[in-house]
Amino acid sequence: MATHVTLLASAFLLLLLLPFSASISRRSAAINFFASSPASLEDAYEALRVFEILGIQEKKAHERGATCPKVLENLVSTSPLKDLFYALKVNVILKCDVNGEVFEGIASRLKVIVHDASTLLDKYYSIGGLVLIKDLDSNVDTHIPDVDGVFQSIKALRQSDGRWRHSSDNPESSIYAAGLAFEALAGVISLASSEIERSTVNIVKNDIVKLFDVIEKYDDGSFYFEEKFVSGQEQHGSLSTTSSVVRGFTAFAAATSGKINLPGDTILGLAKFFLGIGIPGDAKEFFSQVESLAFLESNRQVLISIPLILSLPETVYSLTKKGQLKESRKYRVYDLAKVNTVLGSAAPPLTVKLVHAFSTGAKDSSIIDSKELWYDQESGLHVLDTFPNNLDVGTYVFVFEIVLHDSASEEVYTTGGQIYVPIYVTGIIEVGNAEITVVESDLGTAETQKKLDLSGNDAVSLSANHLQKLMFAFQLTTPHGQDFKPQQAFFKLRHESKVEHIFVVGNTGKKFEIILDFLGLVEKLFYLSGRYDIELTVGDAVMENSFLRLIGHLQLDLPEAPEKASRPPTPPVDPYSRYEPKEEITHTFRTPEKRPPQNLSLIFLGLILLPFIGFLFGLLRLGVNVKNFPGSTAPSTFGILFHVGIAGILLLYVLFWLKLDLFTTLKAFGLLGAFLMFVGHRILSHLALTSAKLKSA
Amino acid sequence: MSKLIFVFLALIPLLCTSFSPDRPSDRRVLVLVDDFAVKSSHSLFFNSLKSRGFDLHFHLADDPKIALQRYGQYLYDALILFSPTIERFGGSVDAAAILDFVDSGHDLIVAADSNASDLIREIATECGVDFDEDPAAMVVDHSGYAVSATEGDHTLIASDDFIKSDVILGSKKIEAPVLFHGIGHSLNPTNSLVLKALSASPSAFSANPKSKLTSPPSLTGSSISLVSVIQARNNARILISGSLSMFSNRFFRSGVQKAGSPTKHEKSGNEQFFTELSKWVFHERGHLKAVNVQHHKVGEANEPSIYRINDNLEYSVEVYEWSGTSWEPYVADDVQVQFYMMSPYVLKTLSTDGKGRYFTSFKVPDVYGVFQFKVEYEKLGYTSLSLSKQIPVRPFRHNEYERFIPAAYPYYGAAFSMMAGFFIFTVVHLYHKCVTFLNPAFGGFLWAMF
Repeated sequence: MATHVTLLASAFLLLLLLPFSASISRRSAAINFFASSPASLEDAYEALRVFEILGIQEKKAHERGATCPKVLENLVSTSPLKDLFYALKVNVILKCDVNGEVFEGIASRLKVIVHDASTLLDKYYSIGGLVLIKDLDSNVDTHIPDVDGVFQSIKALRQSDGRWRHSSDNPESSIYAAGLAFEALAGVISLASSEIERSTVNIVKNDIVKLFDVIEKYDDGSFYFEEKFVSGQEQHGSLSTTSSVVRGFTAFAAATSGKINLPGDTILGLAKFFLGIGIPGDAKEFFSQVESLAFLESNRQVLISIPLILSLPETVYSLTKKGQLKESRKYRVYDLAKVNTVLGSAAPPLTVKLVHAFSTGAKDSSIIDSKELWYDQESGLHVLDTFPNNLDVGTYVFVFEIVLHDSASEEVYTTGGQIYVPIYVTGIIEVGNAEITVVESDLGTAETQKKLDLSGNDAVSLSANHLQKLMFAFQLTTPHGQDFKPQQAFFKLRHESKVEHIFVVGNTGKKFEIILDFLGLVEKLFYLSGRYDIELTVGDAVMENSFLRLIGHLQLDLPEAPEKASRPPTPPVDPYSRYEPKEEITHTFRTPEKRPPQNLSLIFLGLILLPFIGFLFGLLRLGVNVKNFPGSTAPSTFGILFHVGIAGILLLYVLFWLKLDLFTTLKAFGLLGAFLMFVGHRILSHLALTSAKLKSA
Repeated sequence: MSKLIFVFLALIPLLCTSFSPDRPSDRRVLVLVDDFAVKSSHSLFFNSLKSRGFDLHFHLADDPKIALQRYGQYLYDALILFSPTIERFGGSVDAAAILDFVDSGHDLIVAADSNASDLIREIATECGVDFDEDPAAMVVDHSGYAVSATEGDHTLIASDDFIKSDVILGSKKIEAPVLFHGIGHSLNPTNSLVLKALSASPSAFSANPKSKLTSPPSLTGSSISLVSVIQARNNARILISGSLSMFSNRFFRSGVQKAGSPTKHEKSGNEQFFTELSKWVFHERGHLKAVNVQHHKVGEANEPSIYRINDNLEYSVEVYEWSGTSWEPYVADDVQVQFYMMSPYVLKTLSTDGKGRYFTSFKVPDVYGVFQFKVEYEKLGYTSLSLSKQIPVRPFRHNEYERFIPAAYPYYGAAFSMMAGFFIFTVVHLYHKCVTFLNPAFGGFLWAMF
């Protein structure tokens, strides 16, 4: 059968990336996070510490040049306590050239602070500083004279629930502070000139155990600490809180002898918590995570169990890929497991045992029983070298167990018992014997029967009416010739108007078959006649050739919908067309009335003027004269004025037509009219008098 | 002291407003989580928000001290619910309070997960998003899953069916598929405000991944929405995702290869997808404002109080888009103005100069009444603009009609020739001295002539 197939699983689903890829991804993450030069000594320390843990030497050397001057600058007894502390911490890693006298000065200052400091943080920094000086230069006297007093003053900050206060005058307590306190106490013990009383140490150990009462737990078995409702200037997330506790109790365990009575599960749970976060988003959290993991696995804490993580890089195993693999190895590698400590360093001598493996469908029938995995020195993997030949596609559960060779190392490491790993074995499922038929419902005779090749792209065209049935059938077989039941086998009819109907294809024995009796379905199909697309979806988690494809088209002829029939659902509005700009609207203006052409109007104007011309002509022909015009001055003046008045009124009409409005016109007309009355009366009476005289004469 | 309190009280309304065009920056976001581990495991997403100037306040969802408002003022501008399992919020917060928060124009991001609580489902339903009711259901896609060595049940989906909108997802194309692992939802078809930002492929379905299907699942195919966005009528924006892990650092950093596709992407599209989407949700993109609405007659500069029918007018408006830091000119070719009385009489697309100014000119219709200039601008992903300005339109005055109509010249000619004739007649009638026949018959002839 196959040659080199790696079927691998992760022991915890959360730990997918880890720790197989841990070192690589962590390294790149570390380089990313700490790429820019650190702003403060604290950041510099975090960067250096991470580089140290992950063994990135080149970066460490690179930092040295930039950071050492800063360290020297801060290593004076006047600089702030926090900077001093971190300067010492950086110095431990970088080993800058510092004069021994400088340490003397700092040590004496720190000793004073240890006694006088009222807050936990000051005590923590000063004790931590002294411990660092002790490590850096053993000539400096770092012993604290009143060890018990300092010890008790820190102990006094403890609350009854296991949390610690930051200072004696601040009643608020936190878990984060507890971690600091344990580390400080560990420092006090290591600085003590004489042995601390055993009972005192035991009390602190009990405190640690007590603190673990408030630990929180996830469903997947990871444990973590979380501050509940801390109001205060500093809020620590669960990562930094848990990290603080881990740092505290590992430091304490290292400083004292004798085991702290913590269950292995809890330690493993803490490791799971840190690993489960993956790669956190900022440098500080990344530092907390990496440092805590380093503490959990570092060998000096032989008193605390080191968690071992079993991880399988793959849980999906493909039967089809076997053909492509080279026959380069003599053994057949089917299953690899890697056992690591949390940061990926090598585990002690151990054997990984596959207790048993079973199919999820049949829990009782085991396919592999109690098999030890073979250890490949080269890759550091535990390899399962035989696999049952008749392994078919499906889902299986493999149960692993880690057996330590040394009984002594059982004290040191925790393994977490039996580990259940779901394994998927995938393969190509053969699809065959597909046929689609339209039959008369009463007679059962096949109207049209079409064979389908579901692997190809051909589509069939069918037509049916409501008295007919559509039958569709196909068969699925596994590579081992077994019948296969996929999770998803949908037969979909989609009408032109986007109304969809999905039917699950059921299986009767070997065959998957669906019969659609359109008479019973007319209601469901909303009496929609027309063209339907037929789509088939077959899919399963272990089926590599899951597909969705168009089988063909069905021209369906259904009766008219009765009035009471339910309407097909309105299709959802297409969001793209909904927001399209509207069509422009222009106003249609009223068309002006039709007018005759201008020439015609002018011709008519000429015709209209003809009678006037005729009138003038007639007057001339008649020989009109104005001999009757009065000869004397006064009447002639009145006569002239009378006619000028008439002409004025007529002119007013013209002006009215041209530009004047009615009110101006009426005003002018009133004045002209009165004038005309006067002069008219005078001239007309004069004319009447003359005429009367003439008659009487 | 009292002075200080007074100053503080006076500042409260300034500090805690929703997105406002006047003060778009300084935004405070409340993040409710099930446990603080989310803060670290999803820190890339949070950091991208922080780096864009958001002030994130993390609280446990059951923290009894959380409150959205105090003394009637909202304390936050936006809310992120990363607490899919919460059954009851702490403090005074409940589903109604969150919906009120949205109703007052604030933004919301909700992430559900396969164990989503009824409370989260209820909030989603109110937003027009219905999560699959089956508590064991997850979105499974046997054809569009992400190839993974360790996830065999095809619930880790690589989807690349994004909403086609530059404003929602940014102008840069998202090359890599987005990883999804969670529950699907469908959109209420009657709700036109909710949009599918990320849809499942046609072969997907929502069901318990461990059981075989015997009846058709309630959600299938591309009608399943994985991530949806909603823009309410008050421009509050909501993002609803069926998966909390989509936002996680692990998915942000993970590589992705879609089943059946030969390309393996170094990095999934999740980070780009959610960074861009969160920019949209928090109004860093697609928020429009319209200012400086002007209209006047062609050739004039001042805005008249009334137009006459058939006037030619010019209309202009300036539209700007908020870019996260400043108001930038908005450039589009589909801003339209309506001249509206009961129904639009004129609807015209505005031309733009590319610097935010939109303008057009048109002729006032020959219908008089009270009209409105209306700009109703709705575009996918953008906040809607709704401007209206009322303006009356009057008919011609009596002296504004056309005067010297050529067709009427015969009538004019008749009147004026008649007037001239009358004038001559009066002269002739009064002063004619009949030499030959001195009788009134001549007068009778003249009378008969007229």
